[in-house]
Amino acid sequence: MTAVTALRVVVIGYGPVGARFADALLPSVRAGHVALTVVGAETADAYNRVLVAEYAVGNTEWDDMVLHSGDDVRSAGARVELGMRVVRIDRVASAVELADGELIEYDRLVIATGARANVPTLDGVQRMSRDALALERSDTRLIGTDDDLPRGITVLRDLDDARRVGDAARNGRKIVVLGAGVLGLELALLAARAGAETCVVHHGPVPMPRNLDIGGGTVLAASLRRAGVAVVGQSRAEAVVFRTDDDGERRFDALGTADGKHIHGDLLVLSCGVGARSELATASGLKTAAGIVVTPDLRSWTDPKIYAIGDCAHVAVNYAADADTRIPGGPSGLIGPGWRQAEWLAARFASIGAGGEHDTDPLVERPAVVMLKGEDVDIVAVGDVCVEPWDVEHEDDRSARAVSQWADPEHGRYVKMITRDGVLEGFVSVGMPRTSAELTLLFERGGELPADRSLLLRFDGPDYSPEANADAFAPDATVCWCNGVSVAQIQSAAAEGNDTVACIGKATRAGTGCGGCKGRIAELLERFTDADGVAV
Amino acid sequence: MPLAPAAPHETNTHCPYCALQCAMTLTRNEVTGAPGEEPVTVSGLFFPTNRGGLCKKGWTSASLLNSPHRVVEPLIRDEDGKLCPVSWDEALDLIADRLIDCRRQHGADAVGVFGGGGLTNEKAYQLGKFARIALGTSRIDYNGRFCMSSAAAAANRAFGLDRGLPFPVADLDEAGTILVLGSNMADTMPPILSHLEGARKAGGLIVVDPRESSTAKLTADGAGIHLQPMPGTDLALLLGLTHIVIKERLYDAGYIAERTSGFGELRRSVSEWWPERTQAVTGVPSGQLREVARRLASGNGTYILTGRGVEQHVNGTDTATAAINLALVLGLPGSESGGYGTMTGQGNGQGGREHGQKCDQLPGYRKITDPDARRHVAAVWGVDEEAIPGAGLPAVQLLASLGQPDGVRALLVHGANVVVSAPNASEVRAALARLDLLVVCDFFLSETAELADVILPVTQWAEEEGTMTNLEGRVIRRRRSISPPAGARSELWIMAELAARLDAPGTYDIEASAVFDELARASEGSIADYSGLSYELLDAGRPAYWPYPAGSRGTPRLFSDRFGTEDGLARVVPVHVHADAAQLPAGDELVLITGRLLEHYQSGSQTRRVPELNEAQPVLRAQLHPATAADRGIVDGDTIELRNARGTVVAIAQTTRGIRRDTVFLPFHFPGVQSANVLVSDATDPISFMPEFKNSVVTIHALTTALNPDR
Repeated sequence: MTAVTALRVVVIGYGPVGARFADALLPSVRAGHVALTVVGAETADAYNRVLVAEYAVGNTEWDDMVLHSGDDVRSAGARVELGMRVVRIDRVASAVELADGELIEYDRLVIATGARANVPTLDGVQRMSRDALALERSDTRLIGTDDDLPRGITVLRDLDDARRVGDAARNGRKIVVLGAGVLGLELALLAARAGAETCVVHHGPVPMPRNLDIGGGTVLAASLRRAGVAVVGQSRAEAVVFRTDDDGERRFDALGTADGKHIHGDLLVLSCGVGARSELATASGLKTAAGIVVTPDLRSWTDPKIYAIGDCAHVAVNYAADADTRIPGGPSGLIGPGWRQAEWLAARFASIGAGGEHDTDPLVERPAVVMLKGEDVDIVAVGDVCVEPWDVEHEDDRSARAVSQWADPEHGRYVKMITRDGVLEGFVSVGMPRTSAELTLLFERGGELPADRSLLLRFDGPDYSPEANADAFAPDATVCWCNGVSVAQIQSAAAEGNDTVACIGKATRAGTGCGGCKGRIAELLERFTDADGVAV
Repeated sequence: MPLAPAAPHETNTHCPYCALQCAMTLTRNEVTGAPGEEPVTVSGLFFPTNRGGLCKKGWTSASLLNSPHRVVEPLIRDEDGKLCPVSWDEALDLIADRLIDCRRQHGADAVGVFGGGGLTNEKAYQLGKFARIALGTSRIDYNGRFCMSSAAAAANRAFGLDRGLPFPVADLDEAGTILVLGSNMADTMPPILSHLEGARKAGGLIVVDPRESSTAKLTADGAGIHLQPMPGTDLALLLGLTHIVIKERLYDAGYIAERTSGFGELRRSVSEWWPERTQAVTGVPSGQLREVARRLASGNGTYILTGRGVEQHVNGTDTATAAINLALVLGLPGSESGGYGTMTGQGNGQGGREHGQKCDQLPGYRKITDPDARRHVAAVWGVDEEAIPGAGLPAVQLLASLGQPDGVRALLVHGANVVVSAPNASEVRAALARLDLLVVCDFFLSETAELADVILPVTQWAEEEGTMTNLEGRVIRRRRSISPPAGARSELWIMAELAARLDAPGTYDIEASAVFDELARASEGSIADYSGLSYELLDAGRPAYWPYPAGSRGTPRLFSDRFGTEDGLARVVPVHVHADAAQLPAGDELVLITGRLLEHYQSGSQTRRVPELNEAQPVLRAQLHPATAADRGIVDGDTIELRNARGTVVAIAQTTRGIRRDTVFLPFHFPGVQSANVLVSDATDPISFMPEFKNSVVTIHALTTALNPDR
């Protein structure tokens, strides 16, 4: 065999997705097929960002968040640079430049820089633009960095953010959460549980407006209030008011809204969605939209040596778009698709590194199911759920859409199922955990719903316990499992004069296995014997 | 506690069927010679496992002794394909000639041996020895590969030792919480249920099964919790439970530090299985997951038990490992009131996997590739080390090799009915047809025997001496109560006769006690050390849990000080869910899961011939949800067809609310067009080579013609 030159792969980003990619590529690194370099801006090992709110309020220890260890990657023979930014991509030389000036050449470059929390337009809070013009003017200062926020204001994305939120939650401060998306609500519920006074401010008619219809959102808002979270809806935040404390520090004091409210608090958490960290790509002349624009096989539209995965990648089929045309889609903001991209791309590079072909089809992602984590509120939703049972679709050649709905706001329960040919296109389920779980599986697997949709509503009912024997005295109910003896058999044995548990055992073998049913046999004998002691 | 000595007309022994090996007394009856007459009467006998109880199978076991279906003389297939009775000499001469011929033409590995987990320790040991040095073949494996291999592989890599239950069954009595994953012991070994009573009273019986099995029903009315995950998602479920245990700090940090290694990596590997993600994959609500995790960690004695439902998968070893990991972080294995165990299935499923029937093992659970093990065993066998072949092929691969170039051309089958019990059963039938010679030892004309060139009639349990090792690793005595039919022989005798005709090296005792003494020597110093045991000691009623080295008093409870690994620490081996592990149903497809009924045992070759059992379950019934049936125009009692690329099966529809809507259940006890294993894939676990029995995809529809059970 001829010696194969190792494929030089550089990964920018060591978050959950970049680390998963690196991990999946380690066998190729050990085999000498791939020379891997990982550059990450954070200093810590790759951790599970999904758990960062739990970490903030002290429900999760640091060690339970760590997904991958940089040392494992190093010991496989890869180079890992943490706490280091990449400030420039030299596409002509096929090399990246680190903040310390070092150049690292690549055959394949994978950008997995993830996303940063959006900072909304608020009077009193500075926002940095990272468009091409701003990047050009600012040298490399804006690349791979976050903007400083005033004291008392934070986002919740990384470990420093978590410490700020944790201090407030543990010390019983008042936390104002701006934004009612999944992350904001999860944080609010956790903080309320931890004892903080918590208020969610949002401008839509209901929380989670991107995911829920009015019915589901209304039931959710009520559930939030029951869980101790104040909800201020239909209020557009406009400004931040500061106060100067005794220590001379200027801190967040209140959030001002367009309808004139001043919502006071000790900490303002901005939870207004995330945006791709794509400025490095932008500055390097790669096409970016909602993220770095890549084809379904995750390759940049602009440069075939460069790939993007996870929250910074905007997957779209390549076409000749002019600069102004909006490219449909965008990053999902969810971890599952990012992990699948990482594994798929690592498998591809492993094949290439080994000198082979990788012809597995690119991933096709279904719309992601959104769930609120935590114990207080059960809510799951996916797809467009704003259609109503009575809505008529535009006539076309598609088969009919059907909507079924169940609403019981008094008890915090709400379900809507949108189907086509019996298969779910979307659903929302609030306050019904088992129904939520079943609908999720049905959606993920494209399974057909039962013709009687109401079957799916009964899992969470107090009567739903298939294990409980509906009638323990029905003739065909089993009494003795070891010997498969029914009530009817015991009854006829009793009628033949077997009037003790031991006699019944001799006649039918009931009770002669584990013996667990002897009590029930005695009970049955009493029932089958009338007051005079005569078998009936 | 020693068994009371039996009266002269009574014999104390154990049941012929499952691994619980319930103790029973056989009382000899006056026989008149009428056909079908039962020569003994069965009664329950107190023993710590069954406490005098027996299930329907045990009570009716004597009806097979004089069964009219019994094969009572050797049969050879003539040129017209008819089976004709011949003398033992004729049969054995023919087999020996053909084996010698086959070996000369195609090499020693052209002869294969397929054993069984129902064989006594003595037969299993002798079969391994016979294959290695009388036949000189490496090609031996057994049907236990379809049962215990995943749990065994997982236990070996975690604990350095595989004994199904590393504690006596009666320890379960004190448990406050028992988590049962994929075991339906209420149907498969019902007398064990008395040991679950304590946990049920404490509200702590937790059963994981996609189906409301008889065991799951025991959780009703506050006795516990039934989790109904989507089939094939058990691994994710276990990782999710472990995530909660770690995240909520419910783990035993002291135990982890002192008794295990590898926790750090486990911790990282389960970080991604937060409850809501686990819910999305398994269909088990996150609230229920939290409830179960907290219950497991609540103290008061927690046991985690796995069965075939979670083990018979292409990720079966990893799933069993995940169950062990959960037990380890909770600090259970080797503790005073808790542990992990796997529920062994076949009667001697434990002993059967210890004494050399496995393709990679020598007696005493020794590795066939280990030079020290080879030296020790060769010395006991009186042969050169080089005379012992290397590792062979595991069961599915062995069966696939039949009649192929460089494959096995002559096969000896002992205690197995692979045409019904092996996956992708149609392929197995075709593979057997490719053989030059098929020899089957059985007492009935099983579906596999029906295809044989030679059938050798053998003894049943009540007619032979031997030992079995039950599910808790306790060695027990099988005792002879009556004489076998005149034409039936013990397999020990058959092997001795064949060995003589093959001019084989070594000795082949025909007395079970002598074979046991040799087995004890062969296992000396090994993991499964029997060297301190003898029939004398066993007959004195001494509880004999292995390892039982000479001079010791055995080991009822393992791991109390150290594990069987080199450093004495249990290995926490992180495992992962791989996306392609399970084939997913789509559209109107359903997941097929398989299992057992109370009335039948394994391939049904015995129990289908017991009139009382067969009347109760005469025909294949497919369990499905009423809504699933209704949507396909099927009503209870309809004849339906289940179909996939591997074949079709015909069954009677039995609707029940106690099964997931996306799942259909078939018992695998039936042959021919009712054989569930026709639909089952022969894909195997990469570590244990366990087939994927519990997760196939099928479509179903009603048939207009009714199922004829006699077809």
